[in-house]
Amino acid sequence: MFGALLAGTLWGQDDHFPFGPFRMYATTQRLDGRTSWYRIDAVTETGEVVFLSGASYGMRRAELEGQVPRFVEDPSLLGAIAEAHAERRPDAPGLVELRLVKRSQQMEGGRPAGEPTDRVMATWRP
Amino acid sequence: MAPLTGPWSASWWFAPAALGRIAVLRVLAYLLVVVDLLFTTSWVAHHGDVSSSLYRPLFLARTVSLPAPTSFGVTLLHWSLIAVAVAGVVVTVAGVRRGDRWIGLAVAVLYLWWMFVAMSYGKVDHDRFAFLVLAFVLPTVGFARVGQQDRSETAGWAVRMVQVAAVATYFLAAWAKIRFGGWGWVNGATLARAVIRRGTWFSDWTLDLPGLLHVLQWAILLLELAAPLLLLVRSQRLVSGIVAGLYAFHLMTFLALGIVFLPHLVALAAFLPLERLGRRGERAPTATALSGAAGP
Repeated sequence: MFGALLAGTLWGQDDHFPFGPFRMYATTQRLDGRTSWYRIDAVTETGEVVFLSGASYGMRRAELEGQVPRFVEDPSLLGAIAEAHAERRPDAPGLVELRLVKRSQQMEGGRPAGEPTDRVMATWRP
Repeated sequence: MAPLTGPWSASWWFAPAALGRIAVLRVLAYLLVVVDLLFTTSWVAHHGDVSSSLYRPLFLARTVSLPAPTSFGVTLLHWSLIAVAVAGVVVTVAGVRRGDRWIGLAVAVLYLWWMFVAMSYGKVDHDRFAFLVLAFVLPTVGFARVGQQDRSETAGWAVRMVQVAAVATYFLAAWAKIRFGGWGWVNGATLARAVIRRGTWFSDWTLDLPGLLHVLQWAILLLELAAPLLLLVRSQRLVSGIVAGLYAFHLMTFLALGIVFLPHLVALAAFLPLERLGRRGERAPTATALSGAAGP
């Protein structure tokens, strides 16, 4: 068992859970780089742009981020998020558009510099 | 003087441990499962509402062909697991001699399944390994009562497995940081990024002190790499002190980033002399040992 764990750490990926590498916060951030994270913004029937919390569609932010390449390649997959949102928030106003937004923060000397900027990575309409 | 033993000798892996420690670990582990399912990772249950197009089953889940989670399936798994975990607590506290190991095995298997539901949507968490080991070794020990001072090799092996898994979690996390992050992990803006993403009142001020964050990054990596040394410490008092320090570290992480590895914290308790809890009145240690050994 510990052999499997060691092999997982050396050569494994997350897919091999629970024997994969323990890469909690193992990614590197350059001091003058950009740090970015993702969010889902939605346009409601009344034209309002709202932020969708992960709980409202049943996924955590990190899970959304883990599947970003799939959403970019096939934006219709965002429809599954709209579907889950409708299931979990039946009383919320209907959504006519979903946007996967990448929010970036410039860093200088390890400190945030300026305001974050947004970029829409994928859009979905029913 | 006792010879220096360590992970290279069989006697170290089977050094007898008190059954009372196993009993308390059972109570803690099964209580944690209940707390985890109802509060800390209640988000797992939300996966039942997510379309299967976003389900990315993990290697082991694919290997045993686990079905894609559905709303009904996840609810059923959720409440079955809570039911067996509660049963595990009751049976251990009440000292019931029947069914305790089957209940423990059921908790372990269902909790692993729950983890596959949790981790198959694009993000794998890495704080569960030691707890999963704990869940699976607990049923290998026979009947154990809270406060029981009798020692057994089976209990010793179970305790050791969990201790090694807990220590390995730190060491291998450091290794993964070097493998995936490189030395930039310690010399970059790693913690600043973490604070920007999930900072709290307790940590936001550190963004103005990049030098402090840099030192903390080195301290974390060195402490994680040094964790296996804990296995070689012979004084129980020193071990307890170090483990208390680790708990303090995890408490600070929670206050700073809102991240807490509760299952790991329960596994870490395998280092503590939990057999001293609930000891029944007896004064003389020999009397305790005798009455325990003569039990039905």
